[in-house]
Amino acid sequence: MADYDLVETEVNHGSADELLDTIGEQSPSGDHLQTVQAVRLQAGQPDSELRSLKQLDEDAVKLLEHQVDAAYRALFEMDGKALLADEVGLGKTIEVGMILKEMHFRETDDSVLILTPAQLAKQWQGELLEKFGLEYVCNYDEEFAGFDQHDHIIASIDTAKSDRHRATVLNRDWDVLVLDEAHYAKNEETDRYDLIDNLSYQYAFFLTATPIQNELTDLYNVVSLLRPGLFGTRDVFHHYFVNSNQETLVNREELQDRLHKVMIRNRRADTDIDFTERTIDTRTFDPSPKERELYQAVSDYVRGAYSENQGQKLVLMLLQKEVVSSPAALKGTIEKRLDDQSELSHTEELESIRDLIDSIEMVTKQEKLLSIVEEARDHVEMGRVIVFTQFRATQREILNRLAEEGYTVHSFHGGHSSQEKEQIVENFEESGGVLVSTDSMSEGRNLQFCNIMVNYDLPWNPMRVEQRIGRIHRIGQKRDVFIFNMALKDTVEEYVLERLYHKIDLFQQTVGELSSILTRLEESGTTFEDEIFERLVNADSEVDLENDFDAMAVDLQEQRDLAEKLEEFNSGVFEGFDLGASDD
Amino acid sequence: MTDAALSITQSAVEQFTEQYLTEVGCTVQKDGGRWTVIAPEGAETEVLNGEISLLCGEPSSDLGENERELHPESTFFQELIAEASERSPTGRIILTSEGTQIEMPPWIQQSDVEVATATFTPYYDRTAVVFLYRIGIETVSEYQTELLRAIAVDTRSTDPLPKLEDTFLQSVSSPAPIEASPVDFERSEARNLIEQTREVVVDRVQPKIDEIHQEASRAADAEIEEYRQLQQQRIQELQEKTTQLSSRIDDLSESIQQSNTQSERMQALEKRKEIKAEYEDAKAELEKLRHRRDQGFPEKQQEIRERHALEVVVTPLTVTQVEYERGELELELEKQGVAQSLTIGYGNGVGVTDEMRCDSCNQLLTEDNPVQEIGAGIRCSQC
Repeated sequence: MADYDLVETEVNHGSADELLDTIGEQSPSGDHLQTVQAVRLQAGQPDSELRSLKQLDEDAVKLLEHQVDAAYRALFEMDGKALLADEVGLGKTIEVGMILKEMHFRETDDSVLILTPAQLAKQWQGELLEKFGLEYVCNYDEEFAGFDQHDHIIASIDTAKSDRHRATVLNRDWDVLVLDEAHYAKNEETDRYDLIDNLSYQYAFFLTATPIQNELTDLYNVVSLLRPGLFGTRDVFHHYFVNSNQETLVNREELQDRLHKVMIRNRRADTDIDFTERTIDTRTFDPSPKERELYQAVSDYVRGAYSENQGQKLVLMLLQKEVVSSPAALKGTIEKRLDDQSELSHTEELESIRDLIDSIEMVTKQEKLLSIVEEARDHVEMGRVIVFTQFRATQREILNRLAEEGYTVHSFHGGHSSQEKEQIVENFEESGGVLVSTDSMSEGRNLQFCNIMVNYDLPWNPMRVEQRIGRIHRIGQKRDVFIFNMALKDTVEEYVLERLYHKIDLFQQTVGELSSILTRLEESGTTFEDEIFERLVNADSEVDLENDFDAMAVDLQEQRDLAEKLEEFNSGVFEGFDLGASDD
Repeated sequence: MTDAALSITQSAVEQFTEQYLTEVGCTVQKDGGRWTVIAPEGAETEVLNGEISLLCGEPSSDLGENERELHPESTFFQELIAEASERSPTGRIILTSEGTQIEMPPWIQQSDVEVATATFTPYYDRTAVVFLYRIGIETVSEYQTELLRAIAVDTRSTDPLPKLEDTFLQSVSSPAPIEASPVDFERSEARNLIEQTREVVVDRVQPKIDEIHQEASRAADAEIEEYRQLQQQRIQELQEKTTQLSSRIDDLSESIQQSNTQSERMQALEKRKEIKAEYEDAKAELEKLRHRRDQGFPEKQQEIRERHALEVVVTPLTVTQVEYERGELELELEKQGVAQSLTIGYGNGVGVTDEMRCDSCNQLLTEDNPVQEIGAGIRCSQC
């Protein structure tokens, strides 16, 4: 490879006449040295620095040294084409956020396309807005009108490659392309690879913690998308860098030199990220006989209605979630269904559910919540606790009850203006007490001053759970964190919690691990929520249901093991690689 | 040869701008990050007229009519250095022994031997030139690389004077730079020196050229391979197409045989003719492609190689005549109570001009082989 000599080198000597003509000219003293200095400045690199950093809201995002360094190198040392391959949990999204912010500041981001796995698109959108003040439209937004109608787009890669959009996506010259989980585009025979290969862009940032999935060719493919020709042809790459058994690298030093031009990989061990301890306390409670009866009635109704008409899946799923959150949350939806003319066949069933709701006087979860916040009041500074629920009606009930008991309460939901939201968080910090929030509490909120969180009900989407935990357990949290999970026995909530979330150690995952598991799951074409719901309504018996959930847990565990193995494999391959900042 | 490019920091920008504007006759009044610059009539600059305000630092989106930004990427600064860089590319400076510190040779700097006294006695004046060369390396697969290199040679001996390159660049950057005057050599002499030094410049940046050459070669190779694959794919498509067309022709021939009416036959005949033409075209294209493949696509290869070829352009941008003094350096060396005196050739700004060898083994003293003992003559670290 050292004597790779395909192209000619031609050396020309530029004319010296212009310079020689100035000999003998009289010019004022001092001028010449200024000219020398001007020539030197002209040849120098502009003082490249991340000038937008000063504009960032320090409360919204805390930048770490390795992230700033990665953003800087990607922009200025790699000419805006980089593979960001930090190990899991080191904040690759933040690195891209900084890059995009800087490009926005320098006005080099007229058109940006961010391609992500479907499940992560909205999360990207939220993070860029909250942490960096960057507004992107997502292909799941109502206002999304096509890839030629917006300049800053976050889209699922599969939407972008679909027949409907592909031509529009390819027909445009993008300034910046961001590709999350880039290893999913590593196979050159797939539509995804083909899409990226044909896209026209000036700058590109690819993200992956595991550039190598199965074999070292993956690395070749991903890098060649970014910097065609860096490794020469596939055959040359193979002969020169890969041991014939495919598992080890040879000529590592040269490979490192090449990779250094395009890849940044920070390792957890080399950064100063230090998370405090996290304690999980899952509490399951016996529902009252009335609550049990209500749960059964709703589950029966959902199962029956779904078997008749699968088109109403979303609303039925909602009912199943609401019934374990609170009777109040359920009531609104039941009443809406009663008003709905198409539901005539189930009127009686729905009416009896409504009656059951009305008959419940004491809500078990509410009572149990009181003992948790009471404990907190005695042990934690200003008794600060955050209670998360998915539903506004549940939120109202909790707030009323806590206020009745004399607690200082704060309410946070999506209906507030951003200014109001700021104020609420500020009040919570200053006066303590309990903040009851819906999941509209976004990632950017800085709540590290609180270290106790209650999951009053549980989202069926593990990303949501992780996001909730991430509000308080993040870089900058100095105390140990306590997470309380509340669930009613023998309900879907207990299954999800005990059989799924605990099995995959959801509550102990390091930040970011989950997304790689879920993305792998997404490959199989279903969402987590769908899986749960289908199992719930299709099980013939209690035993069936338990077996079903166990089977899902096994799947998840497999995905998790796979993700872990890959991470280990990549660590092994890149071991001894110093891909940190160049010192030349 | 020394990398002469300067990092364009905000402070470098401000320092240069202030010096330059003052030099060309403007007045600069600073009020924090806002400078008021007045160019009187007759000021030797075209970058401004009358009075303007310079806003230092951050780019601003809302500039007034007479306001300009001043930062590394601002248009005003770019115009200013463009003007300054062409203003006076030749000049002469004098390095005197008073203004320069005595520079110890590396084989002393790297040793434990102490220098008790050092006295430079200049005997005669010598002349050197320092050129700044721009080396542009361009190829389609890499971003253009531009290097700026300083190279210094003695005008009489044409010996390289690497130490002088550093001394020169440092003195240009110092807050109180030395005065320059017009050169006093002839154009022809300067031309000779350029001819002698520019090849040296290329030699010295050769590793960088090689690196880019390798990258360009790899990119060209990958492109050729991609082209080959594409053509192979096209060949397969054409093979399939000709097979299909040929079987359609067979089908049509059969239906001609079996057609009952003349009009049916005519229609089939016309169709067959049309398809035959299509078949011939595809076959011709296929044969042509196969032939080109067997030859290794020479034209395409040539085209790709030419496109990826490197062009290196070496251009002298400035020449500075440097007067310096040569003489002798007397050193009193000491180590563990033992003293030794030494006299060696020296030039101010140029450093030690004589090679020094070990009295015992005759090895050359260098940074890696410094002086070790001075008791019985000068002995190197290998003795």
